[in-house]
Amino acid sequence: MTDQLRKRLARLDPMHPGVDTEPPSRELLEGIMSTPVVEQPETGPEQKSNRWLVGIAAAAALVLAVGGVIALTGGGTDPVASGPPLELTAAGGDPMAMCIVFSVEELAKAPIAFEGTATAMEGDTVTLDVDHWFKGGDASQVILNAPQGMEALIASIPFEVGGQYLITAYDGNVNYCGFSGESTPELRSAYEQAFGA
Amino acid sequence: MVVSSEGERRDRFEALVADVYDPLQRYIRRRAAADEAGDVLSDVLLTLWRRLDDVPEGSVLPWSYGVARRTVSNHRRAASRHLKLVERLETERPPVVDDDPSGQMEDPALADALAGLPAADQEILRLWAWEQLEPREIALSLGSTANAVSLRLSRARKKLADAMTRQDPTSPGHIGDETAEENRR
Repeated sequence: MTDQLRKRLARLDPMHPGVDTEPPSRELLEGIMSTPVVEQPETGPEQKSNRWLVGIAAAAALVLAVGGVIALTGGGTDPVASGPPLELTAAGGDPMAMCIVFSVEELAKAPIAFEGTATAMEGDTVTLDVDHWFKGGDASQVILNAPQGMEALIASIPFEVGGQYLITAYDGNVNYCGFSGESTPELRSAYEQAFGA
Repeated sequence: MVVSSEGERRDRFEALVADVYDPLQRYIRRRAAADEAGDVLSDVLLTLWRRLDDVPEGSVLPWSYGVARRTVSNHRRAASRHLKLVERLETERPPVVDDDPSGQMEDPALADALAGLPAADQEILRLWAWEQLEPREIALSLGSTANAVSLRLSRARKKLADAMTRQDPTSPGHIGDETAEENRR
């Protein structure tokens, strides 16, 4: 059954093996191989859009705009690793606390926003693999620490391994009151409106 | 493998390009706007050149997909700074090839169900079915673990099955339900 699904999905592929591709041009490869290989310092997210000018040995100069290269030059073999996991405190919502009424405008004020999949729940921590950063980071993992215990945490957000969640945080603390939760089409739509896709 | 001399470095890069250029081009053209695909591919190749010593032997393609994923994402972020929301959403959609060589018109129910899933679920299903990667390879390209990917893949298939069932309640729903253990190949 799974193989059938895989084949059905493969038939949706706009670039299936029957579609022609272009071979690389010699000028492009020479341009790239003439680029000096130097270690680059670690940079923040805002510097990812820096551009590298690449000269080529051929008569015409070729300029390559390189987004994100700097962030990928930090060593190691993981192509997407971007630093240690981000740690957040997830105390669980206080039922007596006053909540700000949910709105996209309020949501947009959160400095940290991401979508992630829970991959481990051990002791008082939940580990999330980040599927998409909306704002405020680029770590591939986020660890939620629950100082009041896992029970208090899952009373607010019903975490389970394999579940997908949308999380916002202020000052290192997960934001509740409907601003974080299980990834539903409605909440995801609000995140996309607040932070852009 | 650390490459010592410039000549050796060039040779190894050219061999790498021969192996990954075609699948990388397909990966990028599936996900980037048509007018951006060339720039993205150039950026990915430049990253591979700069990080040639980090490319893991035996997992070159999944690793390169990881670089491509990050580069596509950075291009989208850069583009989104200049676009309105509606235009941004448009750029998130998979590119539509003019003459639609895919089977999207032949299997619109599955295409619609896939398009309705969260982006992360769509991506893991594409890596599995379009790039034909196994969970451990998907894990390498996403910077995750094989176990986590197996779980996510299983959930994504379940969501896809549920979406298909919602579209047509008479159709068999479990088109892809499978244990994580079976995925871990």
